[in-house]
Amino acid sequence: MIKINNLDFAYKNTQVFKNISLEFQKGNIYGLLGENGVGKTTLLKLICGLQKPQHGSVTVDGLTPSERQPEFLQNVYFLPEEVITEDTTPEKFIQKTGVFYPRYDFALFNKLMGELEVDLSKKFNELSHGQKKKALLACAMSLQTDYLFLDEPTNGLDIPSKALFRQVISRYCSDETTVIISTHQVKDVENLIDPIVILDKDDVLLNASFAEIIDKIYFEYGPERLQNAYYTEMLPGGYINVMPNTEHLESNVNIEALFNAVMKNKETIKNLMK
Amino acid sequence: MNNTFNINRFGKILKHDGLNFIPNSILTLAILWAIPVVIYLFTVLMPTNETTNIYDAMSRINVIDALLKIAVIIAPARLYKYCNDSRKGIGYAMLPASTLEKFLSMVIYCVIVTPIIYIAGALAIDSILALFNGPYEGFAASMYFDKFAQIDKSIVDHDVAGLLDDTWPIFVENLSPTFMTILSLLGILTLSSIFMFGNMIFKKRKTGKMIGVLILLSIIIMIIFINYVANNEALINYFEQINEDNVTEFIERMIFIWMNVALYTEIIISALLLWGTYRKIKTQKY
Repeated sequence: MIKINNLDFAYKNTQVFKNISLEFQKGNIYGLLGENGVGKTTLLKLICGLQKPQHGSVTVDGLTPSERQPEFLQNVYFLPEEVITEDTTPEKFIQKTGVFYPRYDFALFNKLMGELEVDLSKKFNELSHGQKKKALLACAMSLQTDYLFLDEPTNGLDIPSKALFRQVISRYCSDETTVIISTHQVKDVENLIDPIVILDKDDVLLNASFAEIIDKIYFEYGPERLQNAYYTEMLPGGYINVMPNTEHLESNVNIEALFNAVMKNKETIKNLMK
Repeated sequence: MNNTFNINRFGKILKHDGLNFIPNSILTLAILWAIPVVIYLFTVLMPTNETTNIYDAMSRINVIDALLKIAVIIAPARLYKYCNDSRKGIGYAMLPASTLEKFLSMVIYCVIVTPIIYIAGALAIDSILALFNGPYEGFAASMYFDKFAQIDKSIVDHDVAGLLDDTWPIFVENLSPTFMTILSLLGILTLSSIFMFGNMIFKKRKTGKMIGVLILLSIIIMIIFINYVANNEALINYFEQINEDNVTEFIERMIFIWMNVALYTEIIISALLLWGTYRKIKTQKY
């Protein structure tokens, strides 16, 4: 489990997090959402040990990431947003890197490369941006770490590749694997992520599972804009209204509408979900 | 799990860095190996004077040693260029090996492997060139590891005009080949430590910036030293009292001071910079 307690973090004069506390339970695929610049990547870097909190603590299964101990590192993998690759083939890269990870599976790597339709024979720098991302995803998945952190994984992927991405993540992540997907393209990860964490400047606005969300928030699809809605958006054929679920009605979470509702009613929804 | 050092894990990081060694440094080494070949070809193809175009083994060893220093200076930035880069260094930082294991692997490739591979290649090329009936006299390989014993002999042999004064035997007597070999090896370690540390603190143009820092430091130290000597009356009086009768004692004292200063300075600088490099690997933020 990942525990973040009273975390303060700033880059020189820019405060990113101020006294935030957060928990990520094992075995879930978290969606880490937030506007640009709120600190999604920074949070992932703090969890990976690439940055150190100025105050407060971050622990992953009781270990302190910033110490970068092998026991911690062999159980996590971070796939950054920017695709930076070596002048080698994905196969050679994973053979060189995989030996450090106890559950690394080369057969799985080959299988994933096939499913993601990436040419095995080509070097990274001969692959397109999307192909590189898919190759690195295959590498990351084949390491079978307990924690997998993906920063904007769908950026640069075409539509079929986005579907393949969702398919691979949901099919090959074990029940013990915790995945945190940082993204601002919420539609790409719809039906994949649960729970959702929404970050704001200095703050965490929401950290809840879909079950918890629909227990308190109702997503109403109807012909008209409702006055008591947190957020309303016009869709083809009507409106979606995000409202307090006072009558405990069942509905389907629309992540994009939820995100916008949270951003427009920060304190209200934060207090509602406590 | 031992999070500080594990031999199995260390073997893996050695192999990992070793696989990066060839693509990252072979071109640099090849260029350095090619320089003596170019000198050889230049001498063969453009002969000017028979006597001046003969290169004995000792002078070629000096060229090899100078190029070795360049190989050592360049190695950290070639092999571990991105290890402190906020984007490209993430892979290195996240490799499941301890700081000590990564540091030791870095030291092994920069301080041991690079010099050994460079010297082996350079001596092999020199031996091949010396086989031809060209301007190369003798084999550098045959006297490379005994070079400090050979230097005295070589200098005395070349002193056909009797230019060496009576002080030369004092140097020969006081500076043993063993001490000079130790100092030479320490020199490689110091040079490597300086540039490994520079590789960790600078993000771009690492080698050039570190050379700049060294030049600046040398100027500062020289100014301080000259000021100290110029304002130290006791020292000036001592220098003024040097004459033919006590010059031997003076030279012996200077050699003794130099030996100690050189030895301890190199040990202290290397230890501090290696520790600094280790700390930077451990605490680098990305």
